[in-house]
Amino acid sequence: MNTRRRDIIVPSELSDLGASRRAFLKTSGGLVLGFSLLGPAAAMAAMRELPLDTSVAAMKGNGAFAAVDPAKLNAWIAIHPDNTATLFTGKVEQGNGAPNALLQIAADELDFPYEHFYLVMGSTTETVDQGPSYGSMAVRYAGPQIQHAAAAGRQVLLDMASKHFGLPVDKLTADAGVITVAGASGKSITYGELVGGKRLDVTIGASGETFGMKVAPNAKLKDPSKYTVIGKSVLRKDIPGKTTGEFTFMQDVKVPGMLHGRVVRPYGVESQLLSVDETGLKDIPGFVRIVREKNFLGVLAETEWGAIQAAQRLGSKLNRKGPDDGLAKWSDWHGLAATDEVWDAVRKAPGKPESVAKHGDVDTALKSATRTLKATYLTPFETHGSIGPECAIADVSKDKAIVWGGTQMPHQAQRDLAELLGFPVDKVEVRWVEAAGQYGRNGLEHVMADAAIMSRAAGRPVRVQWMRWDSHGWDPKEPAIVQELEGALDAQGNVTAWRHHMWVPTMSDTRLLPSELIGKPVGKVNLGSAAIGYEYTFDNADVSSHNESRVGVITAWMRAPGQYETTFAMEAFIDEMAAAAKQDPLEFRLKYLKQPRTIGVLKAAAKLYGWQPRVAFSAGKQATRKAKGRGIAWVNRDDSLVATIADVEVDQQTGEIRVVRVVVAHDNGLVISPDGMRNQIEGNIIQSMSRTLHEEVTFDHAHVTSRDWAGYPILRFHEIPDSIEMVLVNNSPEFMSTGGGEPSTCPTAGVISNAVYDAVGVRLRQKPFRAERVKAAMAAA
Amino acid sequence: MSKTVHLKVNGRSHDVSVEPGTRLLYVLRDNLGLHGPKFGCGLSQCGSCTVHLDGEAVRSCILPVEAAEGHAVTTLEGLGTVDRPSPLQQAFIDEQAVQCGYCINGMIMTADALLKKNPHPTRDEIKQALDGNLCRCGTHMRIVRAIERVAKAGVPA
Ligand code: FES
Ligand code: FES
Repeated sequence: MNTRRRDIIVPSELSDLGASRRAFLKTSGGLVLGFSLLGPAAAMAAMRELPLDTSVAAMKGNGAFAAVDPAKLNAWIAIHPDNTATLFTGKVEQGNGAPNALLQIAADELDFPYEHFYLVMGSTTETVDQGPSYGSMAVRYAGPQIQHAAAAGRQVLLDMASKHFGLPVDKLTADAGVITVAGASGKSITYGELVGGKRLDVTIGASGETFGMKVAPNAKLKDPSKYTVIGKSVLRKDIPGKTTGEFTFMQDVKVPGMLHGRVVRPYGVESQLLSVDETGLKDIPGFVRIVREKNFLGVLAETEWGAIQAAQRLGSKLNRKGPDDGLAKWSDWHGLAATDEVWDAVRKAPGKPESVAKHGDVDTALKSATRTLKATYLTPFETHGSIGPECAIADVSKDKAIVWGGTQMPHQAQRDLAELLGFPVDKVEVRWVEAAGQYGRNGLEHVMADAAIMSRAAGRPVRVQWMRWDSHGWDPKEPAIVQELEGALDAQGNVTAWRHHMWVPTMSDTRLLPSELIGKPVGKVNLGSAAIGYEYTFDNADVSSHNESRVGVITAWMRAPGQYETTFAMEAFIDEMAAAAKQDPLEFRLKYLKQPRTIGVLKAAAKLYGWQPRVAFSAGKQATRKAKGRGIAWVNRDDSLVATIADVEVDQQTGEIRVVRVVVAHDNGLVISPDGMRNQIEGNIIQSMSRTLHEEVTFDHAHVTSRDWAGYPILRFHEIPDSIEMVLVNNSPEFMSTGGGEPSTCPTAGVISNAVYDAVGVRLRQKPFRAERVKAAMAAA
Repeated sequence: MSKTVHLKVNGRSHDVSVEPGTRLLYVLRDNLGLHGPKFGCGLSQCGSCTVHLDGEAVRSCILPVEAAEGHAVTTLEGLGTVDRPSPLQQAFIDEQAVQCGYCINGMIMTADALLKKNPHPTRDEIKQALDGNLCRCGTHMRIVRAIERVAKAGVPA
């Protein structure tokens, strides 16, 4: 079997580390041993230097990249002679710490010390395809797979020890990587000694695929009361190296002989490339060539600076003046809906109906109501905006490819790249390396395709990094969504009708942009869907969606896709109803909820906050310049329940909103690492505040115009709340672990909108809530 | 035509042959193999490329390499290592003040420069100093807490 690892060259400045690392890099039985001796950060840094013959050009014969067999123990776990261990998982780190939680689960179930247990993630020849790392599903779905594999591993080790000591298993105990003979003090053996550097080539069984895969079905799991690592706030292994520069991000990877590439995207989204004057690039030091395939255009140079300059001369710059601005000339396409036309485009796009809930007769109830309310909620396109732009390296020969990337779906990327290159899947290897934080499908798959196309043309490894305007301008976006709500109240203030209709462009457009540009599309443009957790018990209700294809630009899931927007509309509109009924917004909601865990988080948040019932904005306009208000909202996202309450201050002169205090009650069942979860919840709250207060992609008729951080502002330090307090509800083994990576993003826009109403009596129904918009709304009120 | 530029980085001298006008960031990353300073925007908008020039936090993505000649350049690697982190780096570890960590170079380098000038900044002063540094993961609360740890402890950053 292949012993290829990620061939990452240790930078010269870190040669001290490099030397010691090299000394440990001996391979045995197909496993790289001992890198964990270097200590957590270095091991996690993934800076394992490898022999150069692992490049595609040097590969001998026609060997394919073997997939990993999930039915084997060694697919999941390796035990090294120094009594360290490695967990292999197809799930990948995107900045949320979820794979670290998988390591905790494995450590507990294998009875192996977390401190000496390391992770290898994502690479297609090293790990099992456990499905993409999206949708807050890592712990929920991959957790049990890894838990079973580790439990089976523990059993295998006990059986080996039983042979070793010539004693039955029930005379042995496994603890912290050591097996001890009961009663015979001093008689013990470490896992590392027992395994002796061999692969754990034992069949543990597996069936099914990706999320639904069942691993080691016969493994006996630990009694949860004996957990020692699960539920503990362990220190994340990647963090030390990330504070010192010793960690290697995708953006830091270098491959011998590689060229630097930059892309030159079309002027308009569907512009055709008319001509390129390459002669104007010849004087750029280090310039190698351009790569042109239909509408795909890129440049290659020996240095990054050379590539940047060449791309700029062709037209890659922040403010390109027109389709002729640069040595590449594009057709003057202008078929895009501009910023203010987006809503109309979304409403008018063709689509398929979907019904989420239909009870009673809404139309009749509306007609006989004492009071009816109607409102439209608008949420714009948003960008992922990873702080580090997309980056990848590809090394493509005539029949094989190795591609380094930070994708959230390395195994799917392997299939997509194979299709793009026209290779069998097993002739493409994806070597996964962590990139800057991603919050869904950003451009990391697309940049791998950019690199593959350019490496194929050049016959050399190529590193491509997007410029900021490539990322803001072309990463797949969260789509704009239009929602109309209608409700009715009777004379007692009871809800007698509820209608919620949404127009949702696709959030699952997986077409690789470079593949479209070369005219050989890979990936699917799926339809949008009604992403909502509707639980209210109104007698007459109609919740439905109009599910659309691509509207304007490529859109793909971004943190709580669609549900961030639908929760905003649902939770702001119920607040409108509560205010119209002159009732406390929490009590009003509770009248129409019956799921105990939903009620549980709302009450837990109210308790932590110190909620006193009152009608929103009942005291009227506040005399102070800064008006204070509070808001509440909740969500059920894929069985994780979150209720959020916040205090805001609205500057009545400028319209500026400041979120002062945030309280979150979070129920996602058993939490593997409470501090890791808190880190995620804080991140969700801050990022969703940013989305709510600031974020909107803007367009002219040709392309995205918000192509940097000035055009697409995000939250800054002066705007952070004074506190984010939280309570983890039902954090215990009786409650299955559901996701925590996304849910607490959902309530935020509703919470802030509701709090602003409480403060100044104005409803904000269109995101973002920038100061000018708030000021205009107050002036109009 | 490339020319030789003499740089002093993290206390070591280097002669590098580069094209005039090359931004310092690419020289540090590509010629010297450093990973601390990161490319984020290339537009002086995000701070992820921050290094120190004679102790001042500067943005290496827009700084022509020649401008660094004759000055002491310090990168994140120059503050400490995993085995011997600086107090500020240790505070980031203790607070687990990282999500993806891509922005953290800029946060630590900016805060380190602040703490060297003003060892006991208030929370508002910390937020003000970091206002030009962007974090997309929303790690802000922890970043502020990590810096406050050092500010309150009164140990040199
Ligand atoms: S990369 Fe220099 S400020 Fe963003
Ligand atoms: S931790 Fe990811 S950008 Fe700050």
